Amino acid sequence: MTTSLLAYLLIPLFTAILIPFAARKRQKLADILATVTLLAGLINIGAILFNPANIANSFAGVPEDGFALLMIFVIYLVALCVTFFSAYFIGEDSKVNRVPYYSLIMTSVAAMCGIVIAGDFFTLYIFVEVLAVTSFAMITSDDSAKGLEGAIKYFLLTFPASLLILFGIAFLMLTAGTFSFENIKIIIASGMPVGPVVFAVSLILLGFLIKSGVVPFHTWTPDAYEGAYAPVSAYLAGIVTKISGVYAVIKISIMFRLFEIRAYHTADILMFLGMLSIAVGALAALRQKEFKRMLAFSSISQIGYIILAAGMGTPLAILGAIFHLVNHATFKTVLFLNSASLEKGAGTSDMRKLGGMEHSMPWTSWTSIVALLSTAGVPPLSGFWSKLIIIIALWDGGAKTYAVLALLFSVVTLAYFLIMQKNIFFGKPTEASRNAREVRPAMLAPVVVMCLLIVALGVFFPYIYAYLVETIAARIIL
Amino acid sequence: MINSFTLDWFFITLIFSAGLYCMLVSRNLLRQFIGLEIMSKSCLLAVISVGSVTGNLALAQALIITMIVIEVVVVAVGLSLLVKNYRLTNSIDIWSLNNLRG
Repeated sequence: MTTSLLAYLLIPLFTAILIPFAARKRQKLADILATVTLLAGLINIGAILFNPANIANSFAGVPEDGFALLMIFVIYLVALCVTFFSAYFIGEDSKVNRVPYYSLIMTSVAAMCGIVIAGDFFTLYIFVEVLAVTSFAMITSDDSAKGLEGAIKYFLLTFPASLLILFGIAFLMLTAGTFSFENIKIIIASGMPVGPVVFAVSLILLGFLIKSGVVPFHTWTPDAYEGAYAPVSAYLAGIVTKISGVYAVIKISIMFRLFEIRAYHTADILMFLGMLSIAVGALAALRQKEFKRMLAFSSISQIGYIILAAGMGTPLAILGAIFHLVNHATFKTVLFLNSASLEKGAGTSDMRKLGGMEHSMPWTSWTSIVALLSTAGVPPLSGFWSKLIIIIALWDGGAKTYAVLALLFSVVTLAYFLIMQKNIFFGKPTEASRNAREVRPAMLAPVVVMCLLIVALGVFFPYIYAYLVETIAARIIL
Repeated sequence: MINSFTLDWFFITLIFSAGLYCMLVSRNLLRQFIGLEIMSKSCLLAVISVGSVTGNLALAQALIITMIVIEVVVVAVGLSLLVKNYRLTNSIDIWSLNNLRG
């Protein structure tokens, strides 16, 4: 465990405990407390990442690993956007009780920071479970039948993952005698036969693949995202399921690089599952009629790119996976928050009932265009660079078929997003969209900030690449 | 100390299969939860058995106590979801959860 980053875990946890006492009489205080805590944390981590002195000496003064710092920055950014958005989204007549809602968000931020700074598999497991509990509760925060159904499916279909992780931990104790990442690396490097250790780590990997919603195990994803309370689905898709599943997969794949014989084909299976999720997610998204459900399938498809790169396992591929994880958090949050805005402004997010929304909701329309172009990988937006890194790494690593297929399905991504854009925002206004109004400027602010970030990450790509190489590739991969 | 490792794993597999069978054959949500609980108990047994065979019993006990606490919290939240669902739909049949489809 990286103790110097513990403050990022403890301060949100303290706020989560404080909110029920402080905001008992005045509910508005809950969202002020949550937003202020997250903003302070974001400024703090931003001062480390964007400090000119640190950039100049290539982060030599920052001893922590760059992956954890980057992930903490993204966690705080997405959580801040969601809390700020939902402060205005929760209306007076809403069933949502602000106090437990914000308290749960702060607890889940603490749990995600715990996952990121965990140094061994058992700590990782504990924080993953804490995160799962908070997300079950958050999905049902508006007490709708759909939310409950999504939460129950999420519960029943991801609980077996915890069992697999537990069995993996038991086998790891039997074969390696330790759970910590560093010690496992030392055992692998020492050259003793590693077959049983690979088996144990593969069981844990399977558990995390279920938690991240890769294709054979993806059935809970669309239901949980569609049923969830609107801002919560942005939070879930943007960061929660990525940290609870994909983060650990990348961490394990960094470890797998050390196995000389490609980890008994586990890495090959990982690549195959990644490709399968890209294909199934993109093709299923083509025929969805509900905006949030289509975004959920798109999310499965984008996770596929990350898993594919993680399975490749070369340093360049891992960098691509990490950068795509960051980009996915930005553009998927924008799209899900826009679907929440549509629900607020037009009363529905069903594509069949909407049309011509660009006249009544121009800001939502334009931010959606930026986010979808970034997802599809159009230069100079951020998604282009991460997909480019992944495809170049695949081609260099010898997986030429996967590289070509990944490129082709990138076009399918553009296709389903253009269908969505045409059905919802372009064309003739329908009954529902004539009465629609643009949401308040305060609700547009997080979305616009995220869009600026998407453009900035793309335009200032050389700096981002230098950061990735200097802090992640040089310190933890090589 | 008698080495009961093989016998342990025989029972762990048995308990795991019992839980899996309970989940597979039942349409009742409550029984599905019970099946999950039985399966997770076999995991706890696996950890304690491994701890005993490697001579790491103190570590294994610490892990087990933490795992039990975590599991209680997870199952309590799951049961609360079930109760909420029962109040809304008056049913605990798993096939009644089919309102979300694209």
